[in-house]
Amino acid sequence: MSEARADRGRKMRLGLWVLGWLVLIEVVEFVVGVNLQHALIPLVVLAIPPAWLILRYFMHIDRLRGGGE
Amino acid sequence: MEAHVEAGVATAVRARANRVGLWLFIASESFLFAAVISARYFVLGVERPQDLNQPLGFGISLVLLSSSLTAYRAETSIAFGDREGFLRNTAFTIGLGALFLAGVGLEWKEGLEFFPPDTLFGSAFFTLIGLHAFHVLTGIGALAVVYRLGRKGRFGPGDFWGVEGVVKYWHFVDVAWVFIYPTLYLVS
Repeated sequence: MSEARADRGRKMRLGLWVLGWLVLIEVVEFVVGVNLQHALIPLVVLAIPPAWLILRYFMHIDRLRGGGE
Repeated sequence: MEAHVEAGVATAVRARANRVGLWLFIASESFLFAAVISARYFVLGVERPQDLNQPLGFGISLVLLSSSLTAYRAETSIAFGDREGFLRNTAFTIGLGALFLAGVGLEWKEGLEFFPPDTLFGSAFFTLIGLHAFHVLTGIGALAVVYRLGRKGRFGPGDFWGVEGVVKYWHFVDVAWVFIYPTLYLVS
């Protein structure tokens, strides 16, 4: 029971970490987009990590291979 | 005993088939968004009007990203049997989705004034934002359905595919926005 609680707490904290990274990247993206001319390439590059974070940690894309938890 | 094992295997196979089916659907939706995003670059290059409300775009992006956390927490809560946490986080997700749509409404109001749909940028802007907002709206509807079912006692540990599917769809809407936001608001 306490193991399940610890596991749940770990997952909840992981969610917070992921959101922290998402917000940080979004802020960097905003600063780059507002201040840089010809920012297409940096913005495309900056869009990839948040998409990966969401796919990996929120959408659990790896469960497709393993068949689930 | 044998029947019990067979039932367990059937459940596992069904769960896997559900997941593969949903991911295929998400892949097909990705192509749709990719087509509309690429149309913006094809028609306009990297041009964008000066009247775009970039802080508003940034603000609603943060709202949508935050809704991904509450959706994740809703799924995690029900997976661990915490119904109250599931209901609370689902309600937050719906609220944040509604706030995002309100922001989009504000954008549309400004957009209609500064770059109406009969201009090149307006056409790309309203098509892309409209397509995405429709997905958010359907996501809110699906979340409302699982919220209502959850209140009636449906879902629990080992039986939350309905929640998982809806939450995955919600996250996909978020991933789509991660690409739409710089395409419309930041690229120049």
